[in-house]
Amino acid sequence: MNDDEQKLCHELDLAREIPVPADMQRRWHDSIDRAAQQEYSVRQEPARPFHFTSFFWGAAVTAALVAGIGIGAYLTGGPTTIQPNSYVVQDISTVSGAVPGAFTRGLQVHLRDTQQNIASMPIDTTEDRTLLVLQIIQQNRLFERAAEQNSSDDLARVLRAFEPILLRLAANDIAPTDAQALRDQLAFELKIMLTKLERDTSKDTQST
Amino acid sequence: MVAVLKSQGAPNQAEFHEVISNRSDRWYSACLKITRNRDLAEDAVQDALLNAWNKRHQFDRSARLDTWIHRIAINAALQLLRKSRPGVFEPLETEVEGPAPTPENVRADEELGESLAAALTHLSEIERVCFILKHLEQWRLKEIADEIDSNVGAVKQAIFRAVRKLRVHMARLKGESL
Repeated sequence: MNDDEQKLCHELDLAREIPVPADMQRRWHDSIDRAAQQEYSVRQEPARPFHFTSFFWGAAVTAALVAGIGIGAYLTGGPTTIQPNSYVVQDISTVSGAVPGAFTRGLQVHLRDTQQNIASMPIDTTEDRTLLVLQIIQQNRLFERAAEQNSSDDLARVLRAFEPILLRLAANDIAPTDAQALRDQLAFELKIMLTKLERDTSKDTQST
Repeated sequence: MVAVLKSQGAPNQAEFHEVISNRSDRWYSACLKITRNRDLAEDAVQDALLNAWNKRHQFDRSARLDTWIHRIAINAALQLLRKSRPGVFEPLETEVEGPAPTPENVRADEELGESLAAALTHLSEIERVCFILKHLEQWRLKEIADEIDSNVGAVKQAIFRAVRKLRVHMARLKGESL
């Protein structure tokens, strides 16, 4: 570029940066979160390739078992009625009733800790903040997985929704005002979730 | 971002958020100058981000993530401009003024700033795009020609006309201000 053209570009203020409207920028952040989320859910349910050898061996074992049971039933004379094992049924119901209670209490403790940690989190010291947020993310993932195992899909989804906000809070170059806004958002969401959990727990206690 | 979050492989979600927070003004400005349309500029950046996210495993760690996304955004803006106005990059034999402003252009011009917006209205689409790619994005003539499916001669001609029109415009502005 010659001097004259350089002068022209300078006069035109060609390199001036135009600030992005906040709502537009938020949409871009959200689109990355959605793409990551989509990828995550696809990864959770990988397509299983069909293995002919495994299928063949599986079919062979099943056929042998069916033949064995058939011969056994023939030799003992007549079909037998299989009675449900009452002990196992009782045992499963006890476990399924006990786990969510313990899980909910654990989750409440985790959420309360997170609430406190976020409230006392240093906004200006980036490294401390990032490490703390990473620890929260790790804990959050554990509870998310436990919720999935307990078939609490809604709860797992809510916990998963915290992660993008936490990741943004962990970013190195985030402006203190943005960090503060994210912290407020998190505090608000945590408060709602804790209130909801506490309400559900007290309902359960009253009904029993 | 601290080392714990910055993985050695493909850039992660936090790194994308970081560059969006810090560098999206630059991507948006460039796309807005190319398209002169706020919606197309937004779509271009959005397309670029999703494209970059999906191809993040191809990203070379020796380069900068924001520069990589910037380049993808420019290509997306050119593609969207071409799709919205087919034939936009066909070389013109005669001197023409820029197209009549649409409501979208008016909204975009408000953001571009008075002097730049006023100057760009005098340029045809091909002149504006070639001028911006050459003087703002520092693309080589051959790169511009390849991108807009033209030849180096036509690109040179478009830039030459753009510079001449802009000079006249700026001289007129200075004359008026005296």
